[in-house]
Amino acid sequence: MSDTQANTAIDSLPELLAHALAMETEAAERYEELADQMETHRKAGVAAIFRRLEKEEKAHLVELNEMCSRYELPHYAPWDFKWATGESPEAIAIDQVSYKLSVRGAVELALVHERRACDFYAGIAQRASDDEVRILASQFAAEEREHIGWLESCLADCGPDDGAIDDPDPPLSQE
Amino acid sequence: MESCAQKKAYKAKDYKSDLKPIWCPGCGDYTVLNSITRALAELALPPEEVAVVSGIGCSSRIPAYTSVYGFHGVHGRALPVATGLKLARPDLTVLVTGGDGDGFSIGGNHFLHACRRNVDLTYIVMDNQVYGMTKGQASPTTSPDWEGSKLTPEGTGINPFQPLVVGLASGANFIARVSASDPINMAQIIVEAIRHPGFSLVQVLSPCVTFRPEQAEWRDIVRTAVVDYTDDAARAARRLMTDDGFNVGKVLFKGSRPPFRPEFEHTDGSVAELEARFAL
Repeated sequence: MSDTQANTAIDSLPELLAHALAMETEAAERYEELADQMETHRKAGVAAIFRRLEKEEKAHLVELNEMCSRYELPHYAPWDFKWATGESPEAIAIDQVSYKLSVRGAVELALVHERRACDFYAGIAQRASDDEVRILASQFAAEEREHIGWLESCLADCGPDDGAIDDPDPPLSQE
Repeated sequence: MESCAQKKAYKAKDYKSDLKPIWCPGCGDYTVLNSITRALAELALPPEEVAVVSGIGCSSRIPAYTSVYGFHGVHGRALPVATGLKLARPDLTVLVTGGDGDGFSIGGNHFLHACRRNVDLTYIVMDNQVYGMTKGQASPTTSPDWEGSKLTPEGTGINPFQPLVVGLASGANFIARVSASDPINMAQIIVEAIRHPGFSLVQVLSPCVTFRPEQAEWRDIVRTAVVDYTDDAARAARRLMTDDGFNVGKVLFKGSRPPFRPEFEHTDGSVAELEARFAL
Protein backbone atom coordinates (compact mmCIF):
# COMPACT_ATOMS: atom_id res chain seq x y z
CA MET A 1 0.00 0.00 0.00
CA SER A 2 1.38 3.42 -0.88
CA ASP A 3 1.58 5.97 1.92
CA THR A 4 -1.19 8.01 0.31
CA GLN A 5 -3.75 5.27 -0.02
CA ALA A 6 -6.50 4.58 2.50
CA ASN A 7 -5.16 2.83 5.58
CA THR A 8 -8.03 0.35 5.57
CA ALA A 9 -10.43 -0.79 2.89
CA ILE A 10 -13.36 1.40 1.91
CA ASP A 11 -15.96 -0.93 0.59
CA SER A 12 -19.33 0.79 0.53
CA LEU A 13 -20.65 3.70 -1.48
CA PRO A 14 -21.64 5.83 1.53
CA GLU A 15 -18.18 5.35 3.04
CA LEU A 16 -16.50 6.34 -0.22
CA LEU A 17 -18.76 9.37 -0.64
CA ALA A 18 -18.17 10.51 2.95
CA HIS A 19 -14.41 10.37 2.34
CA ALA A 20 -14.68 12.06 -1.04
CA LEU A 21 -16.86 14.83 0.37
CA ALA A 22 -14.45 15.48 3.23
CA MET A 23 -11.40 15.41 0.97
CA GLU A 24 -12.84 17.67 -1.73
CA THR A 25 -14.22 20.09 0.88
CA GLU A 26 -10.87 20.32 2.67
CA ALA A 27 -9.01 20.72 -0.62
CA ALA A 28 -11.32 23.52 -1.79
CA GLU A 29 -11.11 25.31 1.55
CA ARG A 30 -7.34 24.90 1.76
CA TYR A 31 -6.77 26.23 -1.77
CA GLU A 32 -9.03 29.16 -0.89
CA GLU A 33 -7.08 29.73 2.32
CA LEU A 34 -3.75 29.63 0.50
CA ALA A 35 -5.00 31.93 -2.28
CA ASP A 36 -6.19 34.41 0.37
CA GLN A 37 -2.84 34.24 2.17
CA MET A 38 -0.93 34.89 -1.02
CA GLU A 39 -3.20 37.77 -2.06
CA THR A 40 -2.78 39.33 1.38
CA HIS A 41 0.97 39.15 0.86
CA ARG A 42 0.71 40.50 -2.69
CA LYS A 43 1.79 37.27 -4.37
CA ALA A 44 -0.61 37.53 -7.29
CA GLY A 45 0.96 34.82 -9.46
CA VAL A 46 0.98 32.19 -6.72
CA ALA A 47 -2.50 33.24 -5.58
CA ALA A 48 -3.83 32.74 -9.11
CA ILE A 49 -2.67 29.09 -9.12
CA PHE A 50 -4.39 28.35 -5.80
CA ARG A 51 -7.52 30.31 -6.81
CA ARG A 52 -7.88 28.32 -10.02
CA LEU A 53 -7.58 25.06 -8.07
CA GLU A 54 -10.12 26.30 -5.52
CA LYS A 55 -12.61 26.89 -8.35
CA GLU A 56 -11.96 23.44 -9.82
CA GLU A 57 -12.49 21.78 -6.43
CA LYS A 58 -15.65 23.77 -5.77
CA ALA A 59 -17.04 22.71 -9.15
CA HIS A 60 -16.39 19.08 -8.17
CA LEU A 61 -18.07 19.70 -4.87
CA VAL A 62 -21.32 20.83 -6.48
CA GLU A 63 -21.58 17.51 -8.33
CA LEU A 64 -20.43 15.55 -5.33
CA ASN A 65 -22.92 17.18 -2.97
CA GLU A 66 -25.69 16.35 -5.41
CA MET A 67 -24.56 12.72 -5.47
CA CYS A 68 -24.23 12.57 -1.67
CA SER A 69 -27.76 13.90 -1.16
CA ARG A 70 -29.08 10.56 -2.40
CA TYR A 71 -27.42 8.62 0.43
CA GLU A 72 -27.28 8.69 4.19
CA LEU A 73 -23.59 9.18 4.83
CA PRO A 74 -21.85 7.94 7.96
CA HIS A 75 -20.44 10.58 10.31
CA TYR A 76 -16.68 10.51 10.83
CA ALA A 77 -14.82 12.53 13.42
CA PRO A 78 -11.82 14.23 11.74
CA TRP A 79 -9.49 11.62 13.26
CA ASP A 80 -11.61 8.65 12.15
CA PHE A 81 -11.23 9.08 8.41
CA LYS A 82 -9.17 6.38 6.78
CA TRP A 83 -6.45 8.64 5.46
CA ALA A 84 -2.96 7.26 5.62
CA THR A 85 -1.85 10.90 5.92
CA GLY A 86 -2.73 13.24 8.84
CA GLU A 87 -5.10 15.56 7.02
CA SER A 88 -6.86 14.40 3.86
CA PRO A 89 -4.39 13.60 1.09
CA GLU A 90 -5.34 16.49 -1.18
CA ALA A 91 -4.99 19.27 1.41
CA ILE A 92 -1.62 21.05 1.31
CA ALA A 93 -0.26 21.30 4.84
CA ILE A 94 -0.18 24.92 6.00
CA ASP A 95 3.43 24.65 7.12
CA GLN A 96 4.57 23.73 3.61
CA VAL A 97 3.99 27.21 2.23
CA SER A 98 5.89 30.41 2.80
CA TYR A 99 5.74 33.96 1.55
CA LYS A 100 8.80 33.11 -0.53
CA LEU A 101 6.90 30.45 -2.47
CA SER A 102 7.38 30.88 -6.23
CA VAL A 103 4.78 30.07 -8.87
CA ARG A 104 6.79 26.98 -9.72
CA GLY A 105 6.93 25.99 -6.05
CA ALA A 106 3.15 26.37 -5.76
CA VAL A 107 2.54 24.25 -8.85
CA GLU A 108 4.91 21.54 -7.60
CA LEU A 109 3.25 21.52 -4.20
CA ALA A 110 -0.24 21.27 -5.69
CA LEU A 111 0.95 18.54 -8.03
CA VAL A 112 2.16 16.41 -5.14
CA HIS A 113 -1.21 16.70 -3.42
CA GLU A 114 -3.34 16.13 -6.52
CA ARG A 115 -1.29 12.99 -7.16
CA ARG A 116 -1.91 11.89 -3.59
CA ALA A 117 -5.65 12.35 -4.11
CA CYS A 118 -5.49 10.36 -7.34
CA ASP A 119 -3.54 7.56 -5.61
CA PHE A 120 -6.09 7.52 -2.81
CA TYR A 121 -9.00 6.93 -5.16
CA ALA A 122 -7.01 4.58 -7.41
CA GLY A 123 -6.09 2.49 -4.36
CA ILE A 124 -9.74 2.16 -3.36
CA ALA A 125 -10.69 1.24 -6.94
CA GLN A 126 -8.02 -1.43 -6.93
CA ARG A 127 -8.95 -3.05 -3.63
CA ALA A 128 -12.71 -2.65 -3.25
CA SER A 129 -14.84 -5.73 -3.73
CA ASP A 130 -18.01 -3.74 -4.44
CA ASP A 131 -18.43 -2.97 -8.16
CA GLU A 132 -20.12 0.39 -7.61
CA VAL A 133 -17.32 1.51 -5.32
CA ARG A 134 -14.70 0.45 -7.85
CA ILE A 135 -16.39 2.31 -10.69
CA LEU A 136 -16.98 5.52 -8.72
CA ALA A 137 -13.48 5.55 -7.22
CA SER A 138 -12.02 5.10 -10.71
CA GLN A 139 -14.12 8.04 -11.92
CA PHE A 140 -12.87 10.20 -9.04
CA ALA A 141 -9.28 9.20 -9.81
CA ALA A 142 -9.79 10.21 -13.45
CA GLU A 143 -11.06 13.64 -12.33
CA GLU A 144 -7.95 14.11 -10.22
CA ARG A 145 -5.85 13.20 -13.27
CA GLU A 146 -7.40 16.18 -15.08
CA HIS A 147 -6.01 18.49 -12.39
CA ILE A 148 -2.67 16.74 -12.62
CA GLY A 149 -2.61 17.27 -16.36
CA TRP A 150 -3.34 20.98 -16.00
CA LEU A 151 -0.66 21.38 -13.32
CA GLU A 152 1.89 19.49 -15.42
CA SER A 153 1.24 21.88 -18.30
CA CYS A 154 1.67 24.83 -15.88
CA LEU A 155 4.94 23.36 -14.69
CA ALA A 156 6.21 23.09 -18.24
CA ASP A 157 5.51 26.82 -18.64
CA CYS A 158 7.26 27.83 -15.40
CA GLY A 159 10.80 29.06 -15.45
CA PRO A 160 13.40 27.10 -13.49
CA ASP A 161 13.83 27.92 -9.80
CA ASP A 162 14.13 25.96 -6.59
CA GLY A 163 10.49 26.56 -5.61
CA ALA A 164 11.23 29.69 -3.61
CA ILE A 165 12.23 33.24 -4.44
CA ASP A 166 14.82 35.42 -2.73
CA ASP A 167 13.51 38.20 -0.53
CA PRO A 168 15.35 41.48 -1.23
CA ASP A 169 13.81 43.04 1.88
CA PRO A 170 13.63 40.31 4.52
CA PRO A 171 11.85 40.82 7.86
CA LEU A 172 14.28 42.23 10.40
CA SER A 173 14.28 41.93 14.12
CA GLN A 174 13.42 45.28 15.69
CA GLU A 175 16.43 47.10 17.09
CA MET B 1 -19.85 5.59 14.02
CA GLU B 2 -23.13 7.46 13.85
CA SER B 3 -25.16 8.71 10.96
CA CYS B 4 -24.95 12.41 10.00
CA ALA B 5 -28.70 12.61 10.50
CA GLN B 6 -28.34 11.81 14.21
CA LYS B 7 -26.18 14.84 14.88
CA LYS B 8 -26.80 18.52 14.19
CA ALA B 9 -24.39 19.01 11.32
CA TYR B 10 -22.01 21.90 11.81
CA LYS B 11 -19.06 22.25 9.49
CA ALA B 12 -15.72 23.63 10.57
CA LYS B 13 -16.29 26.53 8.21
CA ASP B 14 -19.44 27.52 10.12
CA TYR B 15 -17.16 28.69 12.94
CA LYS B 16 -15.03 30.95 10.74
CA SER B 17 -15.77 34.62 10.14
CA ASP B 18 -15.50 36.35 6.78
CA LEU B 19 -12.38 38.18 7.92
CA LYS B 20 -9.24 36.85 6.22
CA PRO B 21 -6.31 36.15 8.53
CA ILE B 22 -3.22 38.27 7.96
CA TRP B 23 -0.73 35.88 9.53
CA CYS B 24 2.40 35.08 7.55
CA PRO B 25 1.97 32.18 5.11
CA GLY B 26 3.17 29.02 6.85
CA CYS B 27 2.37 30.31 10.36
CA GLY B 28 1.28 27.60 12.79
CA ASP B 29 -1.61 29.78 13.96
CA TYR B 30 -3.57 28.98 10.78
CA THR B 31 -3.48 25.35 11.80
CA VAL B 32 -4.64 26.15 15.32
CA LEU B 33 -7.59 28.12 13.94
CA ASN B 34 -8.49 25.16 11.73
CA SER B 35 -8.16 22.71 14.61
CA ILE B 36 -10.36 24.83 16.89
CA THR B 37 -13.08 25.07 14.24
CA ARG B 38 -12.84 21.33 13.55
CA ALA B 39 -13.16 20.61 17.27
CA LEU B 40 -16.20 22.89 17.66
CA ALA B 41 -17.85 21.23 14.66
CA GLU B 42 -17.21 17.79 16.09
CA LEU B 43 -18.72 18.86 19.41
CA ALA B 44 -21.65 20.30 17.43
CA LEU B 45 -21.67 23.39 19.63
CA PRO B 46 -23.97 26.12 18.33
CA PRO B 47 -21.74 29.15 17.58
CA GLU B 48 -23.87 31.35 19.82
CA GLU B 49 -22.98 29.11 22.77
CA VAL B 50 -19.22 29.56 22.40
CA ALA B 51 -16.90 32.47 23.19
CA VAL B 52 -13.23 32.94 22.38
CA VAL B 53 -11.29 35.41 24.48
CA SER B 54 -7.76 36.63 23.75
CA GLY B 55 -5.15 39.18 24.72
CA ILE B 56 -2.64 40.73 22.34
CA GLY B 57 -0.28 39.20 19.83
CA CYS B 58 -0.42 37.43 16.48
CA SER B 59 -2.20 34.40 17.92
CA SER B 60 -4.60 36.61 19.87
CA ARG B 61 -6.22 37.59 16.59
CA ILE B 62 -8.13 34.31 16.58
CA PRO B 63 -11.45 35.70 17.96
CA ALA B 64 -11.72 37.96 14.92
CA TYR B 65 -11.40 34.99 12.62
CA THR B 66 -14.18 32.98 14.25
CA SER B 67 -17.94 33.40 14.02
CA VAL B 68 -18.52 32.69 17.72
CA TYR B 69 -18.63 35.40 20.38
CA GLY B 70 -15.20 36.97 20.69
CA PHE B 71 -13.36 39.34 22.97
CA HIS B 72 -9.95 40.67 21.85
CA GLY B 73 -8.82 42.17 25.09
CA VAL B 74 -5.88 43.80 26.76
CA HIS B 75 -2.34 42.36 26.65
CA GLY B 76 -2.02 39.49 29.12
CA ARG B 77 -5.54 39.89 30.46
CA ALA B 78 -7.40 37.26 28.48
CA LEU B 79 -7.70 34.88 31.42
CA PRO B 80 -9.36 37.28 33.89
CA VAL B 81 -11.81 38.38 31.20
CA ALA B 82 -12.59 34.76 30.35
CA THR B 83 -12.93 33.89 34.04
CA GLY B 84 -15.49 36.66 34.52
CA LEU B 85 -17.35 35.62 31.42
CA LYS B 86 -17.52 31.96 32.40
CA LEU B 87 -18.70 32.77 35.93
CA ALA B 88 -21.36 35.13 34.63
CA ARG B 89 -22.41 32.84 31.79
CA PRO B 90 -21.65 29.25 32.81
CA ASP B 91 -23.75 28.02 29.91
CA LEU B 92 -21.14 29.24 27.41
CA THR B 93 -18.17 27.16 26.30
CA VAL B 94 -15.28 29.57 26.81
CA LEU B 95 -11.97 29.18 25.02
CA VAL B 96 -8.97 31.40 25.64
CA THR B 97 -6.32 31.80 22.94
CA GLY B 98 -3.00 33.56 22.97
CA GLY B 99 0.73 33.34 22.75
CA ASP B 100 3.60 32.59 25.10
CA GLY B 101 4.47 36.24 25.70
CA ASP B 102 0.89 37.27 26.34
CA GLY B 103 0.18 34.31 28.59
CA PHE B 104 3.39 33.64 30.47
CA SER B 105 5.01 37.07 30.72
CA ILE B 106 2.56 39.96 30.54
CA GLY B 107 -0.23 37.74 31.84
CA GLY B 108 1.97 35.42 33.89
CA ASN B 109 0.35 36.09 37.22
CA HIS B 110 -3.12 35.67 35.77
CA PHE B 111 -1.97 32.33 34.36
CA LEU B 112 -0.94 31.07 37.81
CA HIS B 113 -4.20 32.04 39.40
CA ALA B 114 -6.38 30.82 36.55
CA CYS B 115 -4.78 27.39 36.99
CA ARG B 116 -5.27 27.65 40.77
CA ARG B 117 -8.86 28.83 40.47
CA ASN B 118 -9.76 26.01 38.06
CA VAL B 119 -12.68 27.69 36.33
CA ASP B 120 -13.99 25.58 33.44
CA LEU B 121 -11.97 27.20 30.63
CA THR B 122 -9.86 25.81 27.79
CA TYR B 123 -6.64 27.78 27.36
CA ILE B 124 -4.88 27.21 24.04
CA VAL B 125 -1.42 28.75 24.02
CA MET B 126 0.38 29.06 20.70
CA ASP B 127 3.97 28.87 21.83
CA ASN B 128 6.52 30.03 19.28
CA GLN B 129 9.13 31.16 21.78
CA VAL B 130 9.20 34.69 20.38
CA TYR B 131 7.28 37.98 20.33
CA GLY B 132 6.35 37.87 16.65
CA MET B 133 3.98 40.82 16.37
CA THR B 134 6.64 43.24 17.63
CA LYS B 135 9.22 41.76 15.24
CA GLY B 136 11.08 39.11 17.06
CA GLN B 137 12.13 39.57 20.68
CA ALA B 138 12.89 36.81 23.18
CA SER B 139 9.83 35.62 25.09
CA PRO B 140 9.57 33.74 28.41
CA THR B 141 9.87 30.38 26.64
CA THR B 142 12.85 31.32 24.45
CA SER B 143 15.96 29.23 25.02
CA PRO B 144 18.78 31.12 26.76
CA ASP B 145 21.19 30.93 23.83
CA TRP B 146 18.89 32.27 21.07
CA GLU B 147 20.77 35.14 19.44
CA GLY B 148 18.21 36.12 16.81
CA SER B 149 17.18 39.41 18.38
CA LYS B 150 19.29 42.53 18.48
CA LEU B 151 17.91 43.18 21.96
CA THR B 152 19.57 39.98 23.19
CA PRO B 153 22.54 39.55 20.85
CA GLU B 154 24.19 37.00 23.12
CA GLY B 155 20.96 35.29 24.12
CA THR B 156 18.96 35.97 27.24
CA GLY B 157 21.05 33.70 29.42
CA ILE B 158 17.88 32.88 31.35
CA ASN B 159 16.29 29.47 31.60
CA PRO B 160 12.97 29.35 29.80
CA PHE B 161 9.63 29.32 31.59
CA GLN B 162 8.14 25.80 31.76
CA PRO B 163 4.43 26.40 31.21
CA LEU B 164 3.20 22.87 31.72
CA VAL B 165 5.19 22.29 34.91
CA VAL B 166 4.07 25.65 36.28
CA GLY B 167 0.50 24.99 35.18
CA LEU B 168 0.49 21.62 36.89
CA ALA B 169 1.98 23.00 40.09
CA SER B 170 -0.57 25.81 40.09
CA GLY B 171 -3.55 23.48 39.75
CA ALA B 172 -4.47 23.12 36.07
CA ASN B 173 -6.88 20.22 35.75
CA PHE B 174 -5.96 19.07 32.23
CA ILE B 175 -2.59 19.43 30.52
CA ALA B 176 -1.61 18.55 26.97
CA ARG B 177 1.01 19.47 24.40
CA VAL B 178 0.38 19.27 20.67
CA SER B 179 2.15 20.27 17.48
CA ALA B 180 0.82 22.60 14.80
CA SER B 181 2.17 20.11 12.29
CA ASP B 182 -0.58 17.64 13.27
CA PRO B 183 -3.89 19.52 13.04
CA ILE B 184 -6.08 16.44 13.29
CA ASN B 185 -4.49 15.30 16.53
CA MET B 186 -4.74 18.88 17.81
CA ALA B 187 -8.48 18.96 17.07
CA GLN B 188 -8.93 15.71 18.98
CA ILE B 189 -7.02 17.02 21.99
CA ILE B 190 -8.99 20.29 21.95
CA VAL B 191 -12.22 18.29 22.00
CA GLU B 192 -10.95 16.42 25.07
CA ALA B 193 -9.82 19.64 26.70
CA ILE B 194 -13.21 21.28 26.22
CA ARG B 195 -15.01 18.21 27.56
CA HIS B 196 -12.82 17.95 30.66
CA PRO B 197 -14.20 20.03 33.53
CA GLY B 198 -12.02 22.72 35.04
CA PHE B 199 -9.04 24.62 33.67
CA SER B 200 -7.56 22.89 30.63
CA LEU B 201 -4.16 23.97 29.34
CA VAL B 202 -3.14 23.04 25.80
CA GLN B 203 0.34 24.11 24.71
CA VAL B 204 0.69 24.20 20.93
CA LEU B 205 4.16 24.23 19.40
CA SER B 206 3.26 26.75 16.72
CA PRO B 207 6.25 27.86 14.64
CA CYS B 208 6.92 31.52 13.83
CA VAL B 209 8.15 31.08 10.28
CA THR B 210 9.24 34.70 9.97
CA PHE B 211 11.28 35.46 13.10
CA ARG B 212 12.15 31.88 14.07
CA PRO B 213 12.44 30.19 10.65
CA GLU B 214 14.50 27.41 12.20
CA GLN B 215 11.29 26.26 13.93
CA ALA B 216 10.23 24.73 10.61
CA GLU B 217 12.35 21.81 11.85
CA TRP B 218 9.91 21.20 14.72
CA ARG B 219 7.82 19.17 12.28
CA ASP B 220 10.62 16.59 12.21
CA ILE B 221 11.74 16.93 15.82
CA VAL B 222 8.42 16.38 17.60
CA ARG B 223 7.50 12.85 18.61
CA THR B 224 4.30 11.32 19.90
CA ALA B 225 4.50 10.95 23.67
CA VAL B 226 4.93 7.28 24.52
CA VAL B 227 2.97 7.28 27.75
CA ASP B 228 -0.72 7.93 28.23
CA TYR B 229 -2.02 10.52 30.62
CA THR B 230 -1.88 10.14 34.35
CA ASP B 231 -4.24 11.48 36.98
CA ASP B 232 -1.40 11.48 39.51
CA ALA B 233 0.02 15.02 39.73
CA ALA B 234 3.32 13.85 41.26
CA ARG B 235 3.91 11.39 38.44
CA ALA B 236 2.92 14.02 35.85
CA ALA B 237 5.37 16.45 37.46
CA ARG B 238 8.23 13.96 37.22
CA ARG B 239 7.45 13.36 33.55
CA LEU B 240 7.22 17.04 32.75
CA MET B 241 10.38 17.92 34.68
CA THR B 242 12.41 15.46 32.61
CA ASP B 243 10.70 16.25 29.34
CA ASP B 244 12.55 18.04 26.50
CA GLY B 245 9.44 19.87 25.32
CA PHE B 246 8.96 17.88 22.12
CA ASN B 247 6.74 15.05 23.36
CA VAL B 248 3.41 15.90 21.78
CA GLY B 249 0.09 14.51 20.70
CA LYS B 250 -1.27 13.17 23.95
CA VAL B 251 -2.93 14.39 27.08
CA LEU B 252 -0.29 14.42 29.83
CA PHE B 253 -2.41 15.01 32.90
CA LYS B 254 -6.09 14.81 33.77
CA GLY B 255 -7.05 15.84 37.25
CA SER B 256 -10.33 15.36 39.04
CA ARG B 257 -10.50 18.59 41.01
CA PRO B 258 -14.00 20.06 40.75
CA PRO B 259 -14.11 23.33 38.85
CA PHE B 260 -14.58 26.61 40.66
CA ARG B 261 -18.25 27.40 40.12
CA PRO B 262 -19.58 29.68 42.83
CA GLU B 263 -23.31 29.71 43.32
CA PHE B 264 -24.83 33.15 43.38
CA GLU B 265 -28.15 34.03 44.87
CA HIS B 266 -30.75 34.74 42.27
CA THR B 267 -30.54 38.36 41.18
CA ASP B 268 -32.34 40.47 38.64
CA GLY B 269 -29.01 41.32 37.03
CA SER B 270 -29.33 45.08 37.47
CA VAL B 271 -26.32 47.29 38.06
CA ALA B 272 -28.05 48.78 41.12
CA GLU B 273 -28.38 45.35 42.70
CA LEU B 274 -24.75 44.58 41.92
CA GLU B 275 -23.66 47.86 43.53
CA ALA B 276 -25.75 47.05 46.58
CA ARG B 277 -23.99 43.70 46.98
CA PHE B 278 -20.60 45.40 47.14
CA ALA B 279 -21.65 48.43 49.16
CA LEU B 280 -19.29 49.11 52.08
